[in-house]
Amino acid sequence: MRKNALAGWLLLAPSLLLIGGLILYPILYNLWLSFFDKHAFMPVQAFVGLRHYRYFATDPEFWSSFYYGVVYAAVTMAFQLVLGVAAALLLNEAFRGRNLLRGVVLFPYLIPTIVAVILWKWLLNDSYGLVNHLLLVAGVVHAPVAWLGKDYIMSSLIIISVWQFFPFVVVTYLARLQTIPPELYEAARVDGATAWRRFLHITLPATRTVLFVIILLRSIWMFTKFDTVWLMAGDGAVSRYIRTLPVYAYARSFTYLQAGMGAALAVLMFGMLLAGTAVYFRLFRDEEALS
Amino acid sequence: MATLPSRSPHSVSRRAFLTGTAAGATAAMLGRPPAAVGQQVRELQIWHTEVEPQTVKVIQDTSIAEFEKKFPGFKVKQQALGWGDLNTKLLAALAAGSPPDLTHLNPFMTASLYTKGLLRPMDELIRALGESDIHEATLKLQYFDGKYYGVTHAMGATYFAERRDLREKNGIKPPETYTDMLKLAEAMTERGRFAVQMPGEKLYMGFVHPAEWLAGNGGAWVDAKTWRPQLNSKSMIESLEYAQKLNKFMPAGWSGQKYLDTLAALANGKISMAYLSGARTIGYIEKYAPEGTRDPEHFAPMLRPHGPSGQRGISALDGENWAAFTQSKYPSEAFEFLRVFYKKENYLAYCHSVPIHLTPIFKSMINDPAYLANERIKKWKPWHDVMVTGLRDKRFLPIGFSRPEDNVLPFLAELDGSGIVADMVVEVMVGGKNPKAEADRAQRRAEELLAQLNFKRWS
Repeated sequence: MRKNALAGWLLLAPSLLLIGGLILYPILYNLWLSFFDKHAFMPVQAFVGLRHYRYFATDPEFWSSFYYGVVYAAVTMAFQLVLGVAAALLLNEAFRGRNLLRGVVLFPYLIPTIVAVILWKWLLNDSYGLVNHLLLVAGVVHAPVAWLGKDYIMSSLIIISVWQFFPFVVVTYLARLQTIPPELYEAARVDGATAWRRFLHITLPATRTVLFVIILLRSIWMFTKFDTVWLMAGDGAVSRYIRTLPVYAYARSFTYLQAGMGAALAVLMFGMLLAGTAVYFRLFRDEEALS
Repeated sequence: MATLPSRSPHSVSRRAFLTGTAAGATAAMLGRPPAAVGQQVRELQIWHTEVEPQTVKVIQDTSIAEFEKKFPGFKVKQQALGWGDLNTKLLAALAAGSPPDLTHLNPFMTASLYTKGLLRPMDELIRALGESDIHEATLKLQYFDGKYYGVTHAMGATYFAERRDLREKNGIKPPETYTDMLKLAEAMTERGRFAVQMPGEKLYMGFVHPAEWLAGNGGAWVDAKTWRPQLNSKSMIESLEYAQKLNKFMPAGWSGQKYLDTLAALANGKISMAYLSGARTIGYIEKYAPEGTRDPEHFAPMLRPHGPSGQRGISALDGENWAAFTQSKYPSEAFEFLRVFYKKENYLAYCHSVPIHLTPIFKSMINDPAYLANERIKKWKPWHDVMVTGLRDKRFLPIGFSRPEDNVLPFLAELDGSGIVADMVVEVMVGGKNPKAEADRAQRRAEELLAQLNFKRWS
């Protein structure tokens, strides 16, 4: 019995080591670091307790980053969901070229973020971008729109992010759609149910659990999204208008060179996500369906 | 039950393979020239910010080739990096205890590294190069407590690049003051062409240009004694008001565009003045400007105007300095490399790799016929002349400096990195906010930052 237990622990050891080394240790180290006034690169540090947390409670930059982060995550999430579900419903129907279209829809999700952002920045540039050129030629606008300027930078970021990440919703939702027995739809049709009714009473209940997971994952990922936001305007004047919490945490650590404050921001974000997830589970978790 | 595939008649056994490999390796070792056996090639790591391919090639073919010939046991590895990349990479390397043997540094970072005891003095080298021949604009930038801790690699300057032909057509002289500049901008705004465009990178609009505004309007980043920030000083507020007015003559999306976009816009006629320019602009003009306009009669440099509280307009001097660290592995060889680098023929070739942008630091060379013989300098002589005039009239200060004494401030890199000034400028220029209110906000943030960094000397 003891031999079996030992073998069990030995088999578990690599996983425990990986989880401990790659997840637990960084989280605990980050938490520890957040109590220090620590330079990002130099071996200079001093214990400051909760000072960083108290500072952020009244820091306008923190709250504006939080606001931009919530707006970005919520709006992109909503559009990804609507577009993704609509596209998945379409791709679940039988029509010529469906397989090709399923492949094409995945394309934005497969290309590297750096490529996607550079491509979009070229398209949206107000001096030589294709989007402005087409709008001018079509007579929709009389002067180029500053898509990458202050007024439109958040909208542009949202468009790019929705374009890049909605395929995840399509693939996940489509996978669940394909497991719904077609007999249910046939029976509903016989009973005279319209397409909307069939969606409301068959598709939606059947896909509730997958929607729960999609919303949870995409919300977390969008709230912590760094690369797309940074690449859009990281070193630019307008970065101020799309500075989300991950970008602010990066800036504190690597441009202000205040690693302790950056760590405190990361802890705060972690706490917010934990709290948000807990509330989400409490409000929407369907025990019966999940089991 | 699965069966193992039978061995092919041409296959090699593991033992035979290992024996063969070992024998081969031994033969290869013994086959090398006797001198090379046991001799360790040492690598001299050099990082710099001149990323133009022709400059990298010139360094390789001249200074490195000569150094390696002189020191056969050494191999020089140069890495050309952009500013932003260099700063981050350098700080990480210092933290890891393995910095390069020699590197370019931005003058605004040097004091910070000096105060942490990371830099190695180079007085002997400076004397050998000719202390009195090094231009005053750069000589003492890295001079702390009676010792030199750096030497500038070459000098470039930033200024406006303008469509001189368009300005002269309007009968307007180059601007002396902010008011003149606003009048010029108004006159240069035409249908389909904006007067001016500033680069949207935070480094420029949020650090380099505000430093120039302060310097050209009688202000400074901080109080010289207490280091208390002066972001809501009269000179800064006046400059912000000027910048806000100037914004009306810029394309709406300037804040989302980059420095190189502004040069392209100037060359292809979308703007009449690029706010940030240097001799590198000549390359853009020669490549993208319409035929028949690629000359100094159409495109000219223009020095900065001064504000109502200033005496003369100040431009940023683009000139990183070479530095060696206390942790450098081969400091003596690093200094030897610099002697080779500054040797006249090598240094001339280096400066000619991007003429005018890489103006020599030696007074004796700036107007040396050998330097001026370069074809591009001959063609674009007015650009060289502006460089000489600016140096003579003390119109240049190192990047990010609001006055010469800023070289001792150990927090300019953090102030730049924080984006506090950039936020203030963008809110005023693009956001149309009240300059005084934004300046007050930036002042509070800057005071907080310096206090957090333990540089607060005021009560």
